[in-house]
Amino acid sequence: MKKLLSVILAVTLAAGLLSGCGKKEGNITIGIGQFAEHPSLDNCRKGFLEGLAEEGYKEGENLTVSYENAQTDGGNATQIATNFVSKKVDLICAIATPMAQSAYGTAKGTDIPVIYTAISDPVIAELAKEDGMPVGNVTGTSDKLPVKEQLEMIREILPDAKIIGILYTTSEANSISTIATYKELAPTYGFEIIESGIATAADIPLAADNLINKVDCISNLTDNTVVNSLPTILNKANEKNIPVFGSEVEQVKNGCLAAYGIDYYDLGIQTGKMAAQVLKGEKKASEMKFETIAEASFYGNTEVAQKLGITLPDDLVKDAREMFDTIADMVK
Amino acid sequence: MLTILIGVLEQGLIYAILAMGVYVTYKILDFPDLSVDGTFPLGGAVTAQLIIAGVNPVLTLLISFLCGALAGIVTGLIHVKLKVRDLLSGIIVMTALWSINLRIAGANVPIFSKESIFENKPLDRIVPAGFRPYLVLTILLIIVIIMKIVLDLYLKTKSGYLLRAVGDNDTLVTSLAKDKGAVKIVGLAIANAFVALSGCIYVQDAGFFEISTGTGAIVIGLASVIIGTNIFKKLTFVKATTAVIVGSIIYKACVALAIAAGLATTDMKLITAVLFLVILVISGDRKRRVKKNA
Repeated sequence: MKKLLSVILAVTLAAGLLSGCGKKEGNITIGIGQFAEHPSLDNCRKGFLEGLAEEGYKEGENLTVSYENAQTDGGNATQIATNFVSKKVDLICAIATPMAQSAYGTAKGTDIPVIYTAISDPVIAELAKEDGMPVGNVTGTSDKLPVKEQLEMIREILPDAKIIGILYTTSEANSISTIATYKELAPTYGFEIIESGIATAADIPLAADNLINKVDCISNLTDNTVVNSLPTILNKANEKNIPVFGSEVEQVKNGCLAAYGIDYYDLGIQTGKMAAQVLKGEKKASEMKFETIAEASFYGNTEVAQKLGITLPDDLVKDAREMFDTIADMVK
Repeated sequence: MLTILIGVLEQGLIYAILAMGVYVTYKILDFPDLSVDGTFPLGGAVTAQLIIAGVNPVLTLLISFLCGALAGIVTGLIHVKLKVRDLLSGIIVMTALWSINLRIAGANVPIFSKESIFENKPLDRIVPAGFRPYLVLTILLIIVIIMKIVLDLYLKTKSGYLLRAVGDNDTLVTSLAKDKGAVKIVGLAIANAFVALSGCIYVQDAGFFEISTGTGAIVIGLASVIIGTNIFKKLTFVKATTAVIVGSIIYKACVALAIAAGLATTDMKLITAVLFLVILVISGDRKRRVKKNA
């Protein structure tokens, strides 16, 4: 038994060694590392591939894509980055902050460019300088939330609301910086922010119960853990008739009342086009400023509005990027 | 191929220091110390904060070493003085450290633009460009060898012998009129100091601190210890510390091969578990087997 196992182990490892060495000539290979698995980041990735395809890099034709997900584990992120660098991919696409930092840190000594997306603040993450220029062979797009527009929207939909509740994970840097922005801007629109920090998804039911009793509405961030537990929050909020605002399209589709947010698919496309410029050799990643999506748009869900007894204002609906009249199956 | 090799050696050496710490608790003290999952990022959190404050990167090695020792002492005190079971003491400290690490550093602290033990002005001046790719590896090798010698020397002191005695036969220690509790606390302090030092070096190499990197550190440590000590079981002239360092490198090599073979990172933990099991079975390092042999 022992000998058999030793042989199996040896053969598996040897097979691994051989299979790791296949790379076709004339073909572009990219590695996509994604930090967590949830709809916004998935949309980012799909958009990225679409952006590349529009520029002539089609997966399966002249483009080989290897995709890895770190499942919110920093150790995995480093492993993924190291793997891409050892495979000498032509470009690394890193989705979300810790993944981008791992990729940049690992690829630093090589000539592999890193294109990132879905990073709230590339300057704070030390991937870009104050003027937006990269710190190295690394650039991409930011998904900074349009907090000001979101607050304006909430004020318009709920003229009498005073307190906005926000759930966030204390270990997610993006959330912490966005909450600071919320707190800074809230008084201008006559709001007070009550935030409730959680450590793991298991804390959400209690934290949500507590928060819902203190606030007039809830506004979501792009917090990975909270977004993954959206159904729990929505169910609890619906029982008390508390509106929940999302931060992007997928959350509205899944049962949030409305959001003034960006479309991650579009963000991905924009990122994919930047990557294509680098792959074609038109520009170097180290010479490109990071980009943001210029305009955020309104998304609303009429079924949710009906249930809450709220009418979404016409001037918002008229300019909506997309309106939903049902709640997706995720929550029912 | 060379890049893969250098990557494996670098990662292996960084975790070798952690593995030496785990060796002290798991093999010598026979104490399953889970506080490691908290002390590894503790070393990183302290380092990131100190480097941002402008502290010399070399000094951070010492400070995180001491912070780790402090955390180890806490685990020891909980176990010895409050009489909490070994496994639970570790879990309590690990859980507490999650919050403490967030308080110290926050969730994500980049230090790309700061000097580190791998990238600083004095090094830039002396190291020729051609040697750059091997620089990190060389520095790591020096640190690992120093730490190995320090641990070897310590284990030969009186205190070191007592440590071994507590793990093998603690009534002997009591009969020598020594406090076995105090010896355990010393052991835990040393082990966690090594682990925190490993976290410190990890952060300086990665260029940023991220709270989630500690998850599973204990598994990597245990796997390295078990692989290393079993491979060299029959070669008695190889010191256990050397075996553990090699074990860590082999473990990282297996992970790299598993990924190169096209296994998804999502399955990483499963692969680790299977690898772990296979090694245990091959080496016969199981309870049942031990009893049968005895």
